[in-house]
This record gives sequence, structure tokens and C-alpha cells, in this order.
Amino acid sequence: MKSFMIIGQYVPGNSLIHRLDPRTKLIVIFTFVIIVFFANNSWSYGWLTLFALILVLLTRLRIGYILKGITPVWFLIFFTFILHLIITKEGSVLIEIAGFTIHEGGVLQGLTISLRFFLLVLVTSLLTLTTSPMEITDAIEALLGPLKKIKVPVHELALMMSISLRFIPTLLDETEKISKAQASRGVDLRTGSIKDRIYAIVPLLVPLFISAFKRAEELAMAMEARGYRGSEGRTKLRKLQFKSLDFMAMIIYVSIIIIFFSLRN
Amino acid sequence: MDIQFERVSYTYQMNTPFSYQALKDINMEIKTGEFVAVVGHTGSGKSTLLQHINGLLLPTEGQVQVGNFRLSRDNKRQDLKKLREKVGVVFQYPEHQLFEETVERDISFGLKNFQVPAEETQARIASALEKVHLSDDVLQKSPFELSGGQMRRVAIAGVLAMNPEVLILDEPTAGLDPKGQHDIMNMFYDLHKTKNMTTILVTHQMNHALNYADHIFVLADGRVHMKGAPEQIFSQVESLEEANLDMPDILSLMNQINQKFGTDLCYKRQKPDELAKEIVEQLRENKPL
Repeated sequence: MKSFMIIGQYVPGNSLIHRLDPRTKLIVIFTFVIIVFFANNSWSYGWLTLFALILVLLTRLRIGYILKGITPVWFLIFFTFILHLIITKEGSVLIEIAGFTIHEGGVLQGLTISLRFFLLVLVTSLLTLTTSPMEITDAIEALLGPLKKIKVPVHELALMMSISLRFIPTLLDETEKISKAQASRGVDLRTGSIKDRIYAIVPLLVPLFISAFKRAEELAMAMEARGYRGSEGRTKLRKLQFKSLDFMAMIIYVSIIIIFFSLRN
Repeated sequence: MDIQFERVSYTYQMNTPFSYQALKDINMEIKTGEFVAVVGHTGSGKSTLLQHINGLLLPTEGQVQVGNFRLSRDNKRQDLKKLREKVGVVFQYPEHQLFEETVERDISFGLKNFQVPAEETQARIASALEKVHLSDDVLQKSPFELSGGQMRRVAIAGVLAMNPEVLILDEPTAGLDPKGQHDIMNMFYDLHKTKNMTTILVTHQMNHALNYADHIFVLADGRVHMKGAPEQIFSQVESLEEANLDMPDILSLMNQINQKFGTDLCYKRQKPDELAKEIVEQLRENKPL
């Protein structure tokens, strides 16, 4: 089951992208997600695609691995394409099969929307592939910092996020262990009617919840024992620091955006 | 049921950057009715190995033969449920798998899955409870209100109720106090003796391996590092050290006495009191008065 869980799973490395400050990466990706929606001709799409591909190459990860990582999304992309192909009725008719017509506009629309979708997923998966969850939460906490002024519990939210991220692999391991134990007692999750399969989840969920609650309690106790009192007066072990690499990346990124906007109609 | 591993290798998460080969070219044979211990350092592949015996994992290379079942990579479509009924597995911390509202229902869970006729269920539950030395009055309790040791016994009863021919124990004594460990190990040993149950004990407690096993397999780094009778294995001190394993207490005591007093004690399954007498005799003979 774990092999399905590699959507953007962090792969340690030492590429340029890995070394960027997580805040830089977050800002770039966040703005990229918005900018993708401004593309409106083949030049601007081409430019963004080129940018995304260069990013992919810079991560030094195996391309096959990245593409496999977004496997579950391929279906959605394909589905979007088909939907646009059938529904959009613009431009001249290209093919007509059994009452369905496929229009030129539909092909174009389908292609651009799926490309947009693909770019979004690809680039955001690069963030999680090259940035450890801890770095991401640190970056979010730092970027949301100003909200503390209006009494948003930023630190607590970031802590909750990092704890839940931290426990995903633990709980996955636990799930696997329990499901193996129950499989040894004859539970079969793969065959049988839907009703049977739903019932087969109960022996998995109950122990999982019990252990999750136990863990939560133990963790809270361990944190208190080590004097945790929330964000007040708390210093950081890993201090985020922009380096020259980040400034360079930012300058390049801004120029890419400027070129992009000049390419649009 | 005879168990045979033929050139078995297993790799986790094949074809990803996380791929990890846990077993490398394992060959081993376990005969019906044997008590076998599989020992090794953390990460040596013990747990991976045992999951091959009831088909939870299929070898990525080679094959495992368990009775009539032939488990290999290209032999996926077969009724593993039948195999799992015959091979009971007590996982590490088995109490974590309890989930039912009452002890009775939890023990009968496996029986239901393997379609044991309802008339037989009660008798099976009663005999399983007796095997783990629990009284009938826990049956209607929730498993979660029992003590840790009792919970473990209930979980073990759930496996024993299936009447397995092969019993696999993955560190069954982890987290128990010394008396609890002793009781549980003796219980498994009795079952092995009285029912002639093939028992495979995965452990890093050398004392248990020495006391109970007919045969020991030492794993190191995913390979079979040594195999043989306990006396043989534990006489090869250097090789054991290579695998990062300790000596059983009784043997390390004997070695120390031998070194210190120049005695010539050798292990032949003596009980502590017999050993004490032997030490006294040898010291008397050796003493240069």
C-alpha cells in the first residue's frame, strides 16, 4: 500500500532546488499557481511549461519517479480532457460519431485545461518532493507571522500541522501492521461484496484509533514534561535564513514572470 | 507442514528511491514439529522473513514452500486464506490487534473468518482460553479493561483458537516482566510439546533461543549468517559478535568462570543447580592446594 503513497513524498537531496529556502519555494509556488491561470495563448503556455520542466531538471530527481508520483492525478487530467472535448461546442466540427460532435474549440480547450492542471500538480509536487515537511511548516509559520498581530494562533497551527505530518508515516506503519495481523486472522480486504469489505475495515479502524489516542496523550505528556508552554518566549532550533541563492532565484523568477506577461495577448 | 525457503530475496518499495533489500538469497528448511528460533540484530530481516511464511509478503525472488503451498512472485492467485488458517502468527504486541466489544467475540473473530461451524466455536474458545491460562469470567469483559498481560493472552488465544499447524511468534515476550516472559514462553513450549506444533520463534533474547529451540537461524544483514543446534551456534563467539548478538546469560557466565579459574565447563543443557554442582566439583579438582 505504501507504494501508492509517494505523491510528493520528500526525497532528500542536495540539488539547487533542495537548497533553496523553503519560504522562497513557497512564495514561488504559490504565485505560480495563480499565474498559471493568466496564460491565454500558446506562447505563454509554452513559456510556463518550459519553466516547469527546467525546475524538474534542477531537482535532479528521476523524471519517471516524479511522473509516477502523480499517477493518481493522471486520471483526473485525462477525465478533464475528455469532458472538455465532448462539452465544448465551438469552432468547426472535426469528427462526428454517433451524434457526438467533437469541435476544434473542444480539442483546444481540453488541451489547455489539462496542461494547466498538469502544470499545477507537477510544480506543487516539486515543493513537497524537495522540501521536508518540517521545513514547509517552518516556512508557513514564518510567512504567516504577521497574522500574530491580529491574534491568529500561528505557532499553534503550525505545530498542529507538523505533528500531523510527523505522524502520517507512523500511522501508515501502524495500519500496515494491524492489517497484517488481521489478515493473518483471516480478514480479506481484497475480495467479497462491498458490504463485506466495509465490515472488514472495522477491525482495522478500532485498533488504529485506540493507538492514535494513546500516542496523542503520550506526546502531550512528553511535551509538557519538557516544559512546552506554547509559542511564548520560544526560540527556534532551525532558523530560516535567505541566502544569495534565494535572492538570485527570486530575481530570475520575477524576470520570468515579466516575460510571461509580455507574451500574453 | 514442512517449510522451505529457496533462494528467497525480498525488496521493499521496488523501483523507487526508497527501495530496500531486506532479505538476500535466503535458504532454510524447517521440518514439521520443530521448534526453531530466528535471531538477529534489529533490521536483520527477521520480521520480513516470518511474513513470507503465511503469504503476507511474497518473495521478489525465489520461492517459499509451506506444505502444499508454493509462494512466489508469479504465483499470486491462490487461496492464501487456507494457508493462513494453518499458519497462526502472533505479532509483536499482539494486544494492539484487539478490537471487539468482548473477549469472546474477539477470540471468535478468526474462527468466523475461517468459517468454523458455529457448534464448534464455543469448544474452540474454551480450549484456547485454557491454553493461555485465563478463566472463563473474562469472556464477557471488554478486552480494553484487562491488564496488559491479560490482553496479550487474549490476543494469543485468538490465534490459538484457529488450531494452527504452524505457530509463528514475533517477539512474543516484548514488554513483559521477567515472570510474564517466563510464563508465556513455557506456555508456547508446552503447546509445542503436547500438540507437536511447528513453532518459529523470532526473538533477540538469546536466553529464549537457547532454552527452547531445537534449531537456530542467525540472520545478519538480510542473510542467513549461521544455522545449527543452539550448542553449536553459541560456541562460535566471534561469529556471533559479527552478527552483533550477545551470548545467553548462562553461557557467558560459564565462559567467564572458565577464563578466571581455568576450569573446563561446557554447555550440555544443564539446569542451574546442576551447573552449580559441576562448578564446585571442577573448582575442587583444579584447586592447587
